Amino acid sequence: MTLAPGEIVLADAWRAFNVRGDRGRTLKELFTRRTADPLDSVQALAGVDLRVAPGETVGIVGRNGAGKTSTLRVLAGIVPLDRGSAECGGRVATLIELGAGFGREFTGRENILLNGALNGMGRRDIEERLPDIIAFSELGHFVDVPVKAYSSGMMVRLGFSIAAHLDADVLLIDEVLAVGDEAFQRKCLRRISERIAAGATVVLVSHAAGAIERTCQRTIVLDGGQVVFDGPTAEALLHYHSMLGTEAGEGATERRPAPHRKVFVEEVSLFDGEGRRRQVFAAGEPLHLVLGLGVRPGAQPCRVAFELRQASGQPVFGAGETIDLGGRPGRLTFEIPRLALLGGDYDLVVAVQEPGDPDPGIDRLVGLSVAETPDAEGVADLRGTWRLDTVVPT
Amino acid sequence: MVMLRYRYLFEQMVRRELRSKYKGTVLGVLWYLVNPLVLMAVYAVMFGVLLDAVQIDDYPLFLFLGLIVWTFFSQSLLASATSLVEQTSLVSKVRFPRETVPAAVVSVQLVPFLVLLAIVAPVAVVIRGTLDPALLLLAPIVACLYAFALGLGLMASVAHAYFRDVQPVLGAALLPWFFLTPIFFRVEDLPGLAGHDTAEALLRWGNPVAPFIEAVRAVLYSGEAPRGATLLYVGAATVLALGAGRAAFRRFEGELAVVL
Repeated sequence: MTLAPGEIVLADAWRAFNVRGDRGRTLKELFTRRTADPLDSVQALAGVDLRVAPGETVGIVGRNGAGKTSTLRVLAGIVPLDRGSAECGGRVATLIELGAGFGREFTGRENILLNGALNGMGRRDIEERLPDIIAFSELGHFVDVPVKAYSSGMMVRLGFSIAAHLDADVLLIDEVLAVGDEAFQRKCLRRISERIAAGATVVLVSHAAGAIERTCQRTIVLDGGQVVFDGPTAEALLHYHSMLGTEAGEGATERRPAPHRKVFVEEVSLFDGEGRRRQVFAAGEPLHLVLGLGVRPGAQPCRVAFELRQASGQPVFGAGETIDLGGRPGRLTFEIPRLALLGGDYDLVVAVQEPGDPDPGIDRLVGLSVAETPDAEGVADLRGTWRLDTVVPT
Repeated sequence: MVMLRYRYLFEQMVRRELRSKYKGTVLGVLWYLVNPLVLMAVYAVMFGVLLDAVQIDDYPLFLFLGLIVWTFFSQSLLASATSLVEQTSLVSKVRFPRETVPAAVVSVQLVPFLVLLAIVAPVAVVIRGTLDPALLLLAPIVACLYAFALGLGLMASVAHAYFRDVQPVLGAALLPWFFLTPIFFRVEDLPGLAGHDTAEALLRWGNPVAPFIEAVRAVLYSGEAPRGATLLYVGAATVLALGAGRAAFRRFEGELAVVL
């Protein structure tokens, strides 16, 4: 079966890994441990089906060990399947690990040549792209410095700049974008968008809902090596979050309210202007933050506060209100008429401070993403209009 | 076909291997040449002069031809055994034809071999007066030697990836193998072998490196075409080693990203 460039077909893919015996086997072990202990075997992929049409962008989310990276490695042809088939049409570029395939003793420039070659490019192809790759990476004169002197951010710059210029039909990316500064991430995402517009297929694996929301129309939720959801990204992320929520996993980290708490946050929900529950918003949209509050006997008036932080932890905005529930549970809503934030991932932390409570701590933390805003950089959405007036010399 | 598309990768890997091996050393790549030269000097003095054990004309030359073939062979085998393990991050994170890794390592070993050969061949021709049409056979013999080492190297690399004792076992085996190989002696000269035809045949034909050395020596040292049997053996060993090496590599390369 020949696939069109950019097409991906993963059919009934099964793959198990031997957890214990994988590393550093010796002949002695071969003779002493003849039969593999089934307990050592982990089923990373258990019948995964995935069909991606050229030009699609697909996100893969799932908990650790759900089979995300295995799916990517199988698609890249790095690891074979036990059963089923995995095929990608056209040229495949992978960004699976930071600095994979970099010779540490060699300069950035030399590593560009080697990496291009690893991806099947000829000398002329690579040398033609070399100036573009170096310019894109913004490494400046560091491109002639051995890679061992690079920071992880610089490694991402180099790795991504190479992968982005391979003119791949299929781009497989695993988390790597999570490192590096935000401006460069945006630039990467823009570059990916260009590739997608040119008909390339992108598969992005990430813990960060934001990166997936901003790039992928379609998202797959993996759990236990199986596809548990496949559909539009917004729905997939909702499914994923509810899956995590029921097991108090990541994304909605919480503290069980301490018994001495008389007022506590039971639920944090984000809604848009039409009252739909959302996790991802566009810049400038209305956002309604709704806090479900629970009470125990003896509740007094208290202060409820929230803070919006950048993914780095830097506070962006905070507000609080003193309320008196009168001993009954209630809902506290904060209406933001216009979410004046630029694209990125944010955390929203909520805390309740009761009288005589010195440090309120964090009661709830939820993630919030704002869709990519390519025409502006920074955090605050102060996008306006330019006007140029020329002055007539007197 | 695939190798053709990735020939620039192969070139890059060879260059990288050559440079990274001796980066930071004063003599650099020249170190590749020092080892066989020192060995030659030591053996020539020990066996030729001090022990006076051999009656072979131009003994240093005789010795040197055997040594460079052996050095290329043994170093290729040892280096290719660990080659895949040393490139773990590459093999387990990027997709590319993995044969290029051991192939690059063997090719790197070919460089000093060819340099030494280029130095010793004119010397041999002048000293031994071996300017003979048989010299033309040198190129195919060297090509066979390269392919033979490549075949065994492919096997060693993939075997060592699965079982990490392979390289130490090879290292231990190469020393006795060295002494059993007719490098500083001629099989027919060994006094202890007189009358033991089976042992002599075993020494001559049971060791696949011996015919390669014999063929190189026939051309450069004796100025004659190697015997038909020797050439046949060289050809067969090459085809067999390369075929088996490629088959073994094909068979086991799939799981490399997992076992490394």
